[in-house]
Amino acid sequence: MSILEAHHLYKNYHLKGKVLAAVQDVSLRMDGNEVLAFLGANGAGKTTTIKMIAGLILPDQGSVRISGRDPHRDPWALRSLGAVLEGTRNLYWRLTPEENLEYFGVLRGLTRSGARRRTLELLDRFDLTHKRREMVQTLSRGMQQKLAIAVALIHDPQLLLLDEPTLGLDVEATETVKTIIREVAAEGRAILLTTHQLDIAEELSHRVAIIQNGAIAIEQPTATLIRQFSGTAYTIELALGLDSDRMSKVEALGGVVKGNTIYVREPEIVYEVLDLLKPLPLIKVEQDQASLTEIFLQVIHPVNAPSPSL
Amino acid sequence: MLDLFLAELKRSWILLSRYATETMGGIIATTFVFYGLFLSSRYIAGPGIALGDRLDSVIVGYILWTLMLFIMGDVAGGLQDEARTGTLEQMFLTPYGAARVFVIRAIGSLSIQLTLNIVIVVAIMLITGSQLAFPPILVPPFITALLGAYGLAFTVGSLTLVFKQVRQVQSILQFGLLLLLAAPTETWTGSLRLVGWLMPIAPAAGLLRDVMARGLELDGVRMAIASLNGLFYFTGGVLLFGWAERLTKRQGRLGGY
Ligand SMILES: Nc1ncnc2c1ncn2[C@@H]1O[C@H](COP(=O)(O)OP(=O)(O)O)[C@@H](O)[C@H]1O
Ligand SMILES: [Mg+2]
Repeated sequence: MSILEAHHLYKNYHLKGKVLAAVQDVSLRMDGNEVLAFLGANGAGKTTTIKMIAGLILPDQGSVRISGRDPHRDPWALRSLGAVLEGTRNLYWRLTPEENLEYFGVLRGLTRSGARRRTLELLDRFDLTHKRREMVQTLSRGMQQKLAIAVALIHDPQLLLLDEPTLGLDVEATETVKTIIREVAAEGRAILLTTHQLDIAEELSHRVAIIQNGAIAIEQPTATLIRQFSGTAYTIELALGLDSDRMSKVEALGGVVKGNTIYVREPEIVYEVLDLLKPLPLIKVEQDQASLTEIFLQVIHPVNAPSPSL
Repeated sequence: MLDLFLAELKRSWILLSRYATETMGGIIATTFVFYGLFLSSRYIAGPGIALGDRLDSVIVGYILWTLMLFIMGDVAGGLQDEARTGTLEQMFLTPYGAARVFVIRAIGSLSIQLTLNIVIVVAIMLITGSQLAFPPILVPPFITALLGAYGLAFTVGSLTLVFKQVRQVQSILQFGLLLLLAAPTETWTGSLRLVGWLMPIAPAAGLLRDVMARGLELDGVRMAIASLNGLFYFTGGVLLFGWAERLTKRQGRLGGY
């Protein structure tokens, strides 16, 4: 049984007589130890999908199962789910970190002593012990977000939903949140994370789903996706310029020389070129990598940059 | 469930003590009002009249009135605050079900409010040497009246979920509450009497008046009617809240939008 199974979710919004198809036929499945990055432009339907999974928005069609339970029918499904929602505080600003953790622990179904135990654990683990008696409103934005994630984990859920978790954070806080996400997934949890900061998705996610106009345009393991969209070309950078003898030999093999850099199209000849270069000092040999940003742009604007056939 | 109640009690208490100046202001104002009531111990205009003009009745009427206002403000105002500060959706991520949590929360904060009131009244009694009779027989109609108030509060809470802004409704409601509390439904006859039975809170208020101002015994049949009335409005309010929750979730507007 998967931790998350969402089947064929649909959601239309009715606003001033107009119908907006916010989510159309979105299916997702997640197991433990996994970070799924849910990417999409503003208004693509990410938050709507997340909230349908959390039981906060009722889908028009489709079903959600969290460890086998339907959050729309069986509230105990929420025992296995924690969420940090987008653009809201998620915490009581007039309470301290300690009080927030203890309160939400009981609200999520722990006993008072259980909540107390988890609170101490999480304060320690998230490095918030020294701030545990200060009101949340006096903490930095980064600490508040860290605490929001800790609160979402208070009842030890299998599934963690993070809607734009690094939005509005400075560089340092972003790094902290990234580390947390990695660690939390390594504990065996499934993390569904929406973001439009693609570098973060690229670094953290095992799998990527790109949503566009409410429908999933592509869903692949991150590495596979990047490989598919990457060329097969290599770049070799030398410390010094090439002598004319070597240059003509490299060009005879099909390499292109520009200053101290050699471009090689076919991976098969990389080693032959390297043999020719021996023993010249190299700076780097690198395969051209597509970044998630380029992929994302290709997928959502296929007209401007035709994507390779998938 | 007990754990949830204690957690809500603690949360309410902490928040109350953190808004220290407001809380102190409230306590001082309440003390003055009670003190004034004690000193005059006569006919006093305002909500005190609702249950009669003897000191006991005035005080009990006043306490009931302020508790009802508190319940209204607590449930509907609380929902609005949570929506504004961004914790409302987290409240719905509970395996207990949101309606149950809000009921437990409301009972928790009412307990604190009631305790404060009692402490103030007892303190004044000690200082002034006045006597105040609160026969235990008053407890059932008192609770029944509060049940009705909860019912109305959850009705307004449901409107808050659906319409987000209901501040205007609140002042109308305060006036309505006063009417419900003061309407002498126990003297109504014929088909009007039936209307009186159906009005929220009114049967319980009538019973309190009978016992306190008129010195009558608690009438079993009317107590049963008042209990049914209280349960009906309470259940109705909570069911309505569940309906509002589903509607809002269908519209995708729980957190705002
Ligand atoms: N409650 C709502 N009523 C009407 N339209 C909505 C509502 N919530 C979201 N929308 C619209 O639905 C679309 C998808 O929104 P959302 O899921 O929040 O996208 P994302 O999180 O990807 O930015 C947007 O066009 C948004 O304006
Ligand atoms: Mg969003």
